[in-house]
Amino acid sequence: MRLRHYLHLALWCALFAVFIWLSGPIVGSATMENRVGPAETNRSIDTYLNALTGIEHGSEKLPDVLRRLGKNGSLVIFVRNENAESEFIGMMVGYVSWPREVQVIKVPGPTVEKELADIKPGSVAGVVFCSVNPPTWLQNRVRLGSSIILVPVTQTAP
Amino acid sequence: MIVLGLFAALFTIVIAGCGVTISMLALAGRINLVECACLSWLLGCGVVSLLLWICGAFCSGLLLQAIVALLCLVLAIAGWRAKRYANAKFDVPRPATTTEWILAGIVAIEVAVLVFVSFKHTLGWDGLLIWELKARYAFLNGGAIPSSYYSSSGRAFSHPEYPLAIPFTELWLYLWMGEPNQFWVKIIFPLFYAACAGLLALLVSRLSGKRWIGLLIAVLLPFVPSISASPGGIVVGYVDVPLAIFYLAALGYLLLWFQTSDSRFIMVFAACSALLPWIKSEGIILWVVLVLLGFVLSFTKRRLTQFSVSLVPGLIVILVWQFYLRFVHLWPQSDFAPPTWSALRNNIGRLHDIFGILFAELSETSHWSAFWLITAVAVIYLLASRKLERIALASAVVGPVLLYSLIYVFSTWSSYSAHMMSSVPRLLLHVMPAGWLAIGLALSQSKREIQTL
Repeated sequence: MRLRHYLHLALWCALFAVFIWLSGPIVGSATMENRVGPAETNRSIDTYLNALTGIEHGSEKLPDVLRRLGKNGSLVIFVRNENAESEFIGMMVGYVSWPREVQVIKVPGPTVEKELADIKPGSVAGVVFCSVNPPTWLQNRVRLGSSIILVPVTQTAP
Repeated sequence: MIVLGLFAALFTIVIAGCGVTISMLALAGRINLVECACLSWLLGCGVVSLLLWICGAFCSGLLLQAIVALLCLVLAIAGWRAKRYANAKFDVPRPATTTEWILAGIVAIEVAVLVFVSFKHTLGWDGLLIWELKARYAFLNGGAIPSSYYSSSGRAFSHPEYPLAIPFTELWLYLWMGEPNQFWVKIIFPLFYAACAGLLALLVSRLSGKRWIGLLIAVLLPFVPSISASPGGIVVGYVDVPLAIFYLAALGYLLLWFQTSDSRFIMVFAACSALLPWIKSEGIILWVVLVLLGFVLSFTKRRLTQFSVSLVPGLIVILVWQFYLRFVHLWPQSDFAPPTWSALRNNIGRLHDIFGILFAELSETSHWSAFWLITAVAVIYLLASRKLERIALASAVVGPVLLYSLIYVFSTWSSYSAHMMSSVPRLLLHVMPAGWLAIGLALSQSKREIQTL
C-alpha cells in the first residue's frame, strides 16, 4: 500500500519536473524579450505599420491621407490571397479608415488587372494596394510606405 | 491624468463586481477576501460591459459614462448592505505553513512578472483587429458601436458577431482615460491572470482539502508557454484566457455546489456560466458542456429545479445577443457551415486529419510543454476514482477538446487543416485552467483512492 503511495508521488514529481524542464527556457526567454513602452496611445497600430511598411506614426498619417479623399465614397483594398502580411496590412488600413466604408478584395496574383475593372468609380473614393502591384497604366499613385499604394479614384480616369 | 482615469475605471469595475460577489457570498457569514477579489474582477468586467452595451442603446458620451458609474456604485452599496444584513465578516486566508508561505509568495511574484511582461508586447492580430477595434469604434462613437459596423462587409474580418465583454471592458477604460490608449488598456489581461491564479488555488484547495496543492498548481500555471509565450496568451490581448477563467470558475463552483449543496456556489456558477457566451462565441459550447454535466450532477442530488433556474441568466445572454445581431443586420459570414447531416456525411472523412492535427498540437512542446501529458494522466486518475464529481471534471476537460475538434468537420475554409492549425491552439487554451483543476484533484487523491488505479 505504501509502495503505491510512493509511486504516486514519484510519478507526479517526475511529470512536474519534465514540465518545468521543457517550459523553463521557453517561458524564460519570452519574459526577457522586448522592453516596456513607449506608453503611446496608438502603440500597437504604429508598431505594426512601422515594422511592415516603414510608416512612422501610421495611426495619424494614414487617416490624414485618407481624409483628403473627401467624406464620401468607399475605399477598396486589394490584398494578396493567402499572404498573411498583405492581409494584415489591408486589415490595418481598413481599421484606421473608420468610419469610411471599406471593401477588402483578395487577389490571387501579385498584380491587379481585371479585378480593377469591376469597381464602380462613382461610389469609390480610393483604391489601396497592399503588397499588391497596381496595373502599369494606373496613374496618380501615392506611395504610403514600402507596401501600401493609394490611388484616389477621382483622378484615375484615363 | 490618463493613469488617474485608468485607476478610476478599474476601481469602478471592481466595486461593481464586489457588490455582486458580496451579495452572493454574504449568506455564509464569512467572505474569503481572495475569492471576493477574484470574482469581483470577473463579474465586474461582465457587469460593466453589459451595462455599457444596454445603456449605450439609449445614451452616449459623458451621460453614458455617468450612468454606468452610478450603477456600479449602486451595486457596490447593495453588496455592502447585503453584507451588513447577513452580518458577514471578511476573512483573509493566511498560509498556515512555511511551504504555503513560499508558494503564495511565488504566485504573487509570478503575477507581478506577468503584469510587467504584458506591457512589453503590443496587442496581437486578434487582440487588435477583432477585440480592441470594437472598443475603439465604440469610443469614437460616444460609447456604442454603430449598427453600420455590424452590417459592413468590409469589416467582416473583425468578426462583428463576437460578443462584447472584453471590448466593452476596454471601452470602459478608454472612456475614463479620455483616449483609446493601446498601451494602458493591456492592464486588464494580467488582472484576468491574477484572478485565474487566485481562483485556481482556491478551488483546488477547497475541492481537495489541501491548500498547498492549490498553491502549487497556481505556481505551475504560468509555465504553460501558451499563457505567456505563444499567440493567444495574455500578453497579446486575446480573450481566450479570460474565457478559460470564466469556464474554470463556473466549473469549479458547480463541483463545489455538488459537494456541499451550498446555494451560494450555484449562484456563482449561474453568474460565471452566463458570462461565457458574452466573452466569445465559443463560450456557448463551453456553456452547453456545463449544462450537460450540471444536469447529471443535479439529477443525482435531486436538485434539478435549483440547477435549471441557474441556467436562466446564460440563456438570456445567448438569446438576447443573437436577437441583437439579427436586429442590426449582421453581415452573413461564417467560417463554419450549418451542422447538417448531409454536411456531416460529406465531410466525415476529415476526422482522420482532424485528430492527427489535434494530437500534433497537444504534443507541441513550444505551446504546451508537457501540460497535456500531465492532464491525460490526471484524467485517468479521475476516471479511475469512480466518483461522479471527478468523472464530471474529467469530462469537462475532455468534452470541449473533442467538440472543438469536431466542429472542423463543418469548416468552410478551402483548407480545413489550415483553419484548424491556425485556431485550435487558442481553443485549447479554453480548457487549460480546468485541466489544472483536474491535475490538482488527481494529485491530491487519497491513499485509498490510489489503490483503485
